[in-house]
Amino acid sequence: MADDRLNNRAAQAQLDAYVGELAARLRGPRRRRQRVLAELRDGLDGAVDARITDGQPEAQAVTAAIAEFGSPETVAEAFGGELATAYARRTVAAYVVTGPLVGISWLLLLQPHPWRTGLIALVVAIPVLPLIAFAFAAAATTLATTGRLMRWLPEASPRRALSATAALAALVLAADVALIATYARSDIAVQPLAIVAISASLIRIGCGVATICHAVARQRALPEGTHGHQ
Amino acid sequence: MRPELLKGHLDALLLAVLDGGPRHGYAIIEALRSASGGALDLPTGTVYPALHRLERAGLIASDWQTVGGRRRRAYHLTASGHAALGEQRAVWEQFSTAVSAVLGGRSWPTTA
Repeated sequence: MADDRLNNRAAQAQLDAYVGELAARLRGPRRRRQRVLAELRDGLDGAVDARITDGQPEAQAVTAAIAEFGSPETVAEAFGGELATAYARRTVAAYVVTGPLVGISWLLLLQPHPWRTGLIALVVAIPVLPLIAFAFAAAATTLATTGRLMRWLPEASPRRALSATAALAALVLAADVALIATYARSDIAVQPLAIVAISASLIRIGCGVATICHAVARQRALPEGTHGHQ
Repeated sequence: MRPELLKGHLDALLLAVLDGGPRHGYAIIEALRSASGGALDLPTGTVYPALHRLERAGLIASDWQTVGGRRRRAYHLTASGHAALGEQRAVWEQFSTAVSAVLGGRSWPTTA
């Protein structure tokens, strides 16, 4: 392995510096970045090994391998789209997973009288339900067009995935504000469930504002022309 | 050959390299470079995101192995990947036949 052969400290430091520079330029979920760096480092070591096997001196092999991989700017830019999509998918998935938890507490709190059943009664009691259904559909579409279904559906570009994430956060934020307003205008007594539901929504509003700012900033940081892979 | 011509077909090329069996990232890129006679001269670091995108699409899958104390990510084709490669080969066959016929001035193959 490369580590056994790399005796030259300067060569090792050169590889570390390259990976360090790249690490500083990558933006995205931390675990994803760590895996990208581990994989690239393994590839670099492989490239150095191959050159040493071909008889190149170590220092020269390291310089050539780094040149072959591309400048940290180039590589970080190439990863920009994938890491942005990873961020978008992770955020949307978090909304889908936590959504029902917040939703259940509001549903229990605002549910219509037991004798008034049916979808219409439910929408009258909780007017924001169509908005929530729309947000859920938007989330499902984003996950589908950036995941396995993109073989059959038009693939969402990183730029588009980030827009969809910001839009989803805005929709959910509007729904949370509307839910709190619905409760404030109702004559439902103050109860522990209300505190749970309102706290959950307030937390989600905070996360939503952060998500919108982050997604918009990431979108601006994407290099021009990152509309997809090809 | 100009690298940008090959770049448009990078997905199919990566899938084709993996058709021979599982490989790790750098081995895929090396195989691609040698199989294309050095024509695919993209910066190596920029080929990795293309692999990650194929994995996201479910066409390839990866697992981490520990080889000689070093963690290494090996990729293999999934069932969808095999199917997609078959489709891409058919599309390429049709496209290249048509382009060769026009550029090479050969007669268009008639369908019996």
